[in-house]
Amino acid sequence: MKSLSMKGILHFAFIFLLLLPPIVSLDAQTPTDATLMTKGQICLAAIYSHDSWDHYWEGTLFRTNGNIGTLTRQSISPMAILGITNNISVMAAAPWVKTEASDGYIKGASGFQDWGVWIKAKALDVKAGPGNFTTHATIGALVPISNYLADYGPYSLGLGCTDLSLTGILQYKLNMGLYLRGQAGYHVRGNSSIERDYYYTTHSVYSEKVEMPDAITWGATLGTWLFDYALKIEVEYSGLNTQGGYDIRRQDSGFPSVNMQNTSIGGEIQYYLPGITGFSVVASAKQIQTGRNVGKSTIYSGGLTYFFPLWKSGQTETITN
Amino acid sequence: MKNIFSLFFLLSVISTAFLFQSCSDEQPTYVAYEPYQYASLDETGGSWHPKVLSSGAQIGIPAPKDITSPEYLAELAALKAASAQLSSDQEDAVKYWGGDGLVRWNEIARELAAKYNLAPAPDSAGNYGVPNSADPGKYPLFPFAHPPYACRAFAYWATSEYDALISAWYHKYNFNRPAPYTTDASIVTHLPKNALPSYPADGAVIAAVSKAALSALFPLEKEYIAAKALEHENSLMWAGLNVQSDITAGDSLGRAVWNAFKGRAGSDGMKNAQTPRTRSDSIRDAAEAMWHWHWTNLETPPRPVGITPWFGKVKLWNVPSVEIVRPGIPPAPGSPDFETAVKELKDISDNITRDQRRIANFWSDGLGTYTPPGHWNRFASDLIIKNRLNPLRAARVFAYLNMAMEDAGISCWDAKYFYHYPRPIETIPGFKGILGTPNFPSYTSGHSTFSFAGATVLSHFFPDDAGVLTGYAEEAAISRMYAGIHYRFDVEAGKQQGISVGNYSVDAAKADGGE
Repeated sequence: MKSLSMKGILHFAFIFLLLLPPIVSLDAQTPTDATLMTKGQICLAAIYSHDSWDHYWEGTLFRTNGNIGTLTRQSISPMAILGITNNISVMAAAPWVKTEASDGYIKGASGFQDWGVWIKAKALDVKAGPGNFTTHATIGALVPISNYLADYGPYSLGLGCTDLSLTGILQYKLNMGLYLRGQAGYHVRGNSSIERDYYYTTHSVYSEKVEMPDAITWGATLGTWLFDYALKIEVEYSGLNTQGGYDIRRQDSGFPSVNMQNTSIGGEIQYYLPGITGFSVVASAKQIQTGRNVGKSTIYSGGLTYFFPLWKSGQTETITN
Repeated sequence: MKNIFSLFFLLSVISTAFLFQSCSDEQPTYVAYEPYQYASLDETGGSWHPKVLSSGAQIGIPAPKDITSPEYLAELAALKAASAQLSSDQEDAVKYWGGDGLVRWNEIARELAAKYNLAPAPDSAGNYGVPNSADPGKYPLFPFAHPPYACRAFAYWATSEYDALISAWYHKYNFNRPAPYTTDASIVTHLPKNALPSYPADGAVIAAVSKAALSALFPLEKEYIAAKALEHENSLMWAGLNVQSDITAGDSLGRAVWNAFKGRAGSDGMKNAQTPRTRSDSIRDAAEAMWHWHWTNLETPPRPVGITPWFGKVKLWNVPSVEIVRPGIPPAPGSPDFETAVKELKDISDNITRDQRRIANFWSDGLGTYTPPGHWNRFASDLIIKNRLNPLRAARVFAYLNMAMEDAGISCWDAKYFYHYPRPIETIPGFKGILGTPNFPSYTSGHSTFSFAGATVLSHFFPDDAGVLTGYAEEAAISRMYAGIHYRFDVEAGKQQGISVGNYSVDAAKADGGE
């Protein structure tokens, strides 16, 4: 009843729990799991995420800010994932984000953030001992939807730049359901735009464009399936390493091109509801552990996913990972 | 099959990645412009009236050696060798400085203002330190280049350059030493030639004044500024413009002129502007007694003293007194006029358009920027280049603009602390803006005062651009309402105050012999 492709759906869905707080994690912007939809299957999902911090790193200085208090970022990510073939899936998402500070006198922001489009393909799938070794690659693109203001400190909806990424995923999974996965992605970023034609970083810049540093995201995941693939439990250690950028100076505001670094620990649970084919709930929690020019976020997410055959049935039993 | 897919996939990713890479360009760190032929030379500029010196002749320099002397011929030979073949770094330096380099130094002054425009952070006990000029490297660093500090810095830089160039012009035409390339046509030059007498070198005068003035104003940047000044002076020989004795004389004249400014700078009242808390409290209490309202800083932890409560007492340049340009009493909180202004702010805040947001951000000129006076210096630089002004005439524009900027700042700050008017975030429950509310009272709007003073002065010098400049000032002024940090009556009073202040500067310009 519960096919393994459902697991893929949920993995895809899960990525969006963590979508892009500009001062928090970028590590899970791209699909980083080792699963695919089967051909002709579509998954629709909606994920709510609640991200908050009351401490942040100003450069390397860990501090609070009485004029921000606690910064909260909530998002709702509608998305769709489609299996083009059994080896290639395409996904798209358009998160709506709302930011708000508990203290101070600056308004938060809300609106649609970035279009996300990803294509994931399987490169290798071999039996090895009591399990399978698989490799996948994902290409992803983020493009701002609205002209939200990236130059809005921690209240900004996003970085305001295009982000093209390539992620490699390696996984070894035992037939009994336990798996270990590693992934790393490189993000090439286009310029961000702001609404003034002069700004100071470590020097003057006479432009409305902001040269954005590239970034590397990575993660290691240990997980297992239980109760005949009804329940999945996962823990993850992940990080973001911006390749360049500068440190926020003492008592200065954030800016899109600062050098954001972080590591985080998180966990997630997925549960397939008995008796409703293709329907599941997901929940996760994650906390930033170390950082630089980012908030020490704690992120809770939850959502629903539903999949069904779009143009062809009968493939749902295919095991794709 | 799988592998083919993967290969195709990887190749497409890599190629697209390269495309994207080229989209993320390095952005310009200075304004590029072509060195130009001066529109005029102002041969009688040495007789114009300086601002602090008594005349262009006040500070003497030694008479130059004759152009037929062995000493001068040796200098010519050295210049010829220096400019014959340039390294690419030297070529870049020549083009960057463009000879006189006045707009470049203005740009450097703006950059320093932006770099030092950061408010002190609270310490772990919630107290704020105060920058100390006697120990500039101790946090909070000196200076905190907020708008009063910045407008005064630009004013001293610009007026000392103006006085120094009047002096330089006096000596140029007094000694009448022809340019080296006039004496020896075989000298290679890398910048446009002109018929200005070359002794003393105007570029060296400008470099020396900028070095002295900016080092005094931004003491932690002494080394950076010295390196810039050295490159500027060297670039004059690389460009084939000046022999060493032109440069030496210009450098010593520039330093002497700044020395003549030190007295004014040390006694203009700026050192008392950032008052201690007791005085700040008594200013607030006096306002409360007179008006039955007062402004309060709402940051957490609260900043106990606003920015420079006594900046209104600093010595003015061209305005006779702050009282003459002090606006009338603003509407009392709770009065019908006040409520009308509040309703307008709420409406803007609730329905802000993309264009209003863009205007608020474009003119924000807040912390970490070169401030509104810096923004108007940028416009002045663009207009100076567009109109190909010689350095003396360019310095005149900068001087009257920046005297007006500081006078505007002083007048505005007088009104701010005299009326001590509360900000919208204090008077409107639950109100938030899209920019941070600055740490000083509301009435009058600094952006409005600075910008209309700036537009008034620049419109006098560049009448063809008056419409555009006034449009900029209107937009800068109303941007503060879009940002949610000023009422309309702050903006309108600031506009009138700025125009009045600007006109005093224009009147002074009309009387200095340079019209």
